[in-house]
Formats: sequence, C-alpha cells, structure tokens
Amino acid sequence: MVMSENGQLYTIEGIAAALILLVTAFIVVNSTSVYTQGDTHINDMQLELLGSDALSMLNTAPNSSFGKSPLQTIVETDDSALFRTLFLNTINNTTGPGGDRIQYKANVTYVDKDGFVSTLPLSDSPHPFVGGEHAVRVSQWVIVEKRFPDCSAGSCSGKHAVLVEVLLWRD
Amino acid sequence: MAGLRDDAQWIVLMGFIVSFSLFFVAIVINQSTVVGQTTAEAVIEFPKNDIRGMRDMIIQSEFLTDEGVFNNKTNVQNDIKTLSLHRQNSVVSFSSRNPTGSDPHTYIEIHYYNGVTAYNETWRSN
Repeated sequence: MVMSENGQLYTIEGIAAALILLVTAFIVVNSTSVYTQGDTHINDMQLELLGSDALSMLNTAPNSSFGKSPLQTIVETDDSALFRTLFLNTINNTTGPGGDRIQYKANVTYVDKDGFVSTLPLSDSPHPFVGGEHAVRVSQWVIVEKRFPDCSAGSCSGKHAVLVEVLLWRD
Repeated sequence: MAGLRDDAQWIVLMGFIVSFSLFFVAIVINQSTVVGQTTAEAVIEFPKNDIRGMRDMIIQSEFLTDEGVFNNKTNVQNDIKTLSLHRQNSVVSFSSRNPTGSDPHTYIEIHYYNGVTAYNETWRSN
C-alpha cells in the first residue's frame, strides 16, 4: 500500500486548533454566567426596585379612592405590626414554594416644629439590622395628619410631609 | 536564504492565528463581566424614585390649603424642601401659577438637582 504520510502532523494540528476554537467558543457563550464581585450591583438594583414598588403599593389607597393609604394610617398610628405583615407579605412573595428571605428596617424621617430633621424607628423584621448587611435604601413620601414627634397642642396637627425610609437586605 | 528549511511555515502561521484568537476571546470575556455591572450602576445612580416621589408630592401639595391654624400647604411644602435636602442630598425648588381668566390651567415649575442629575419640569394641570 503506497500511501503518502507527509500530512499527518498538519492533520493533528488542525484538529488541535479546531478543539481550541470550540473550547473558546464554549467559554464565550457561557461567560454571561460568570459572577464577579462587581455584579452584586445587579442584585442591589433589583432589590431597590422591588422595595420601592412595595412601598408604592402600600402608599396607594384601596381602589384608588381618596381615602388614606395603608402606609398613611400606619405612620399616623405608629402601627409597627401591620407594616411588618403587609410589607413582608409583599416583598417575600414568590411564585415558587416558600418565600424569599428579604429583611427590612423602616424609619420615619420628619421635620419637627423647630425645623430640625429627626428620625424615628417605624418597624423592623424578625432579623434585626446589625450593620454588616449589604443593604439598599428605598424611600416613600407620605402626607400625614400628625406632627412628629407627638404634640398635643391643637395647632401642632394638620398635614405634614414625612419620608418613610426602608433598608432592605437579603439574609 | 539558501539552505534554510521552510517546511514549518504553515505550523508557525497556525500558531499565530490560534494565539491571536485566544487573545481576542480573552478581551471579550473580560468585557462581558463589566457590562452588567456598569448597567446596574447607572440604574442605581440615577435617582428615578427620588424624582418621582418629589414630583408627586409637589403636585399633591399644590392642592392643599391652609385652613385656620393648620398651615397644611405651607408646612408640607417646607417639609418637602427640608427633607429632600437632608435625606436625598438634593436641592428642590418649585413655584406655581394659578389659573387666570383666559387660561384655566395651574402651572408648577419644578426644579431638582442633586449635584449629578438635574430635573426641570413645568407641570400643567388638566
């Protein structure tokens, strides 16, 4: 059998090069799932959107009526438990079994009658905020018929704007 | 170049091609991790929710009235400016023009600036 064997090395190299190209193509196609430290911003963004949507829902009066929104009532009556129930139900709702693991801490920031800005705790979730969490902040304006902090004189009431600020993180 | 064997030129060329393609692929992979980060950063940095909230409150406050001892409108509008400055690092100012005989609309000039993003709007009632 007279056969030329000159091209064997070239054939091997050709196959090797093709394999390398296939592997690199595979890596490139898969590279969107590469997770780096910087990608945590994507989670932050999603958490922030979720939180601000949840607060907007709480701050909408039932059936879009002119009545008070749940958030308005909660802030006026300082109803920590109701806020916890409504807010946790909203943000930890998932389509699958079980819920999400998002925790929060909510504060109310107000301007007192002397014009100073102060903050009062409104509500928090079962896991307390200790400071090491990677939290995002969302806020929602509310008009309440109450002067913060409590003031008994009649002229202290009337409508005031306060800012409900919530820190959100995932356990 | 007499006497120089040039059999292996094709192999050398293939070596170059493969190494260059690997180099470009490395650049592509390197960039792909940055894409999601920069997009998310841009979204986080733009104070969309702050602007929405502030705008919504200013428009609501325009239709409050000072009733007797309750300076509802004055208080709420001062609260908006003070809290924006203290909690959202933004300067907010606004002024309104009431309907006149020939023009039945209310106009509100809204200005927002947080040092990076500026937002200006002339709102007109329906």
